[in-house]
Amino acid sequence: MSLNINKIREDFPILQKKLAGRPIIYLDNACQSLRPNPVINRIMEYYKEFPACGERSMHKLGKKVDEGVASARKSLQGLFNTKKSEDIIFTKNATESLNIVANALDLKKGDVVITTDKEHNSNLIPWQMLAKKGIKHEVVEFNNIDALNDKLTKDVKIVSMVHTSNLDGTSIDAKEMIKSAHDNGSLFMLDACQSAPHKVVDVKKLDVDFMACSGHKMLGPSGVGLLYGKQDALAKLKPFIVGGSTVSESTYKTCEFEKAPHLFEPGLQNYAGIMGFGAAADYLKKVGLDNISAHELKLNKKITDALADSVELLGPLDPKDRGCIFSFNVSGIEMHNVAIMLDEAANIMLRSGAHCGHSWFNAHKMLGSIRASLYLYNTEEECDMFIQELQKLIKLLS
Amino acid sequence: MICILALVVFSILAIFSASHRPLAAEAFDCVFRKVTFRKCRTNLDQRLKSQITGKLMRKNAFLAKIVYKNFEIISWLFVILFIASLAYSAYGGYNYYLYGNCYGPEDTGGFCIYNALEGDQFSKIHTKLDGEIILPDTDDDPALGPADAKVEMIEFGCYMCPFSRQAQDVVKQVLDKYGDKIRFVYRDFPIEQSGDADLHIAANCALEQDKFWDVHDLLFTEQDVCVESTGEEREKQIESIAEKAGLDLDKFNECMKSGRYVEEIAKDFEDGAKAGVYGTPTFFINGRTIIGPKPLRAFEKIIDEELAKAENES
Repeated sequence: MSLNINKIREDFPILQKKLAGRPIIYLDNACQSLRPNPVINRIMEYYKEFPACGERSMHKLGKKVDEGVASARKSLQGLFNTKKSEDIIFTKNATESLNIVANALDLKKGDVVITTDKEHNSNLIPWQMLAKKGIKHEVVEFNNIDALNDKLTKDVKIVSMVHTSNLDGTSIDAKEMIKSAHDNGSLFMLDACQSAPHKVVDVKKLDVDFMACSGHKMLGPSGVGLLYGKQDALAKLKPFIVGGSTVSESTYKTCEFEKAPHLFEPGLQNYAGIMGFGAAADYLKKVGLDNISAHELKLNKKITDALADSVELLGPLDPKDRGCIFSFNVSGIEMHNVAIMLDEAANIMLRSGAHCGHSWFNAHKMLGSIRASLYLYNTEEECDMFIQELQKLIKLLS
Repeated sequence: MICILALVVFSILAIFSASHRPLAAEAFDCVFRKVTFRKCRTNLDQRLKSQITGKLMRKNAFLAKIVYKNFEIISWLFVILFIASLAYSAYGGYNYYLYGNCYGPEDTGGFCIYNALEGDQFSKIHTKLDGEIILPDTDDDPALGPADAKVEMIEFGCYMCPFSRQAQDVVKQVLDKYGDKIRFVYRDFPIEQSGDADLHIAANCALEQDKFWDVHDLLFTEQDVCVESTGEEREKQIESIAEKAGLDLDKFNECMKSGRYVEEIAKDFEDGAKAGVYGTPTFFINGRTIIGPKPLRAFEKIIDEELAKAENES
């Protein structure tokens, strides 16, 4: 089913605005998506109607908050097809989710962790820190099952991999990787930041142990993310950040910890953000992630067909293998200059730099790339404008 | 080089706007690194280049290309212009301190201009007469100070001109300070010849009774009344000044009616015009010009230089 883009765009107030007399062409969705009215309204509803504490206050407003948080958890349960809503832990963002697992898993000296060579810093630095304490951190080639299998030993306690790379949009065969890890008796954590907003991530079908993603990349508010964990996997996590909400009882010397998700949701939560995240999940379900994937592919194909010969493309030529991302460099023009000039000239908003993937760029002796990333509200006309302006810039300056 | 300009601009903006302070800090870092022969770490220069080029792309792609390709040269040009304008501003500040204006002793602001080419009227047009400039002499005009003074200061003034009046206080201070070292001569340059020439005639008539400077001072003191009056009222006002100065009114009135100084005043005016005078007051100090009512230090500077020159020559 094709999307009614015009109707979708009406839901996004920022797209109705103009900057310097021109409409905004937002192609930085891999960094952060725009937000539709239902998400904005849900956030405002919390602050206007029941701005109170959750999980602790017995009054009417407190109950409303509890209902709102539970509803958001249900919405996200539905989006990711988790077994129970309690499998979902709300965090600040995916970085926090990944850090929770890295630090709460209670890895011992000699234990091995495997990641790919295309990880975001958030799925690299936590393991680097543990490596300083004696945990062995192995890096394998992205989406190379043989490379993974070669490294899988009895000491490998967890394999933590990015699902879809934010550098070039390529994805791993998650199901196959997860099965290999499980066959080895290892846990598997999926960094789904770039996949969850754009395609169906069914944690049950994937049989993944942990999954992390951020609200701000999938129409939700900034400052809220989630960590999915199977209950038996969550049970392996030790308390990490503790305090209010993480215990049911305490004396001066002892305490009784809550179970997940509350054990990993310390202190007062970002209730407005959580509810907004829930509203975003509902919105994505309503539009349909398969429809979104198809729409993005159509746009990416248009861009690739027009520009692949003019730029140094990152990743495979076939847009099917790059989802919503078109990552590139222009010969002879510095990447940041391209991004700034397109912004100034036509309000085309791109990301330039290493995209928090410095390790991969350093290994490939590159400084970074310019990244156009698409989403459900982008149009063919916007892509035409991007193509036209980039071609003009290349012709003029390179 | 653009970072140098950015540092100045952002630093000034940072005084009023907190959002510009990080930019000023970036620019400072960039300049510091450039002067120590290192690459600008913040890429501020590249960002500015891209922003400027991007904005130009909207308007004129060709111009954007020129700017992008020659950004460093253009930046250098702007830095040179900036330094030049800074130096010019400093010179302006120096002039302001010394002469009370930014342009120096020959500033044309703050004096009465007579448009000799278009008739009897005040004009804002700077009229320059054609032909060679001939410096004025003292002629036989009223003078103060010894004839052999080292410095000769000739004023072309007008009794109708408020700036000529304004300059009189400074003239007095100059004469008090330099005494016998200076000879001051007053020459007539009526800005509205058909009208205020009668005031100049009155002063010249007073000279016959050795009361020129008394009437001269009174004409400036009572300038407002003179300017506002016409016809008989003006005649009465002039007579009143003559009376206050202690003149023999019969002789004075006879002189006023005789018209014997019309030619003398016209000659003064003609000499002034030949010397390039196009407004009052204009001073010639040993041939060096001060135009308009300037502060005492402007006169002091020139007179001291002329005295020093005379000292060296003797």
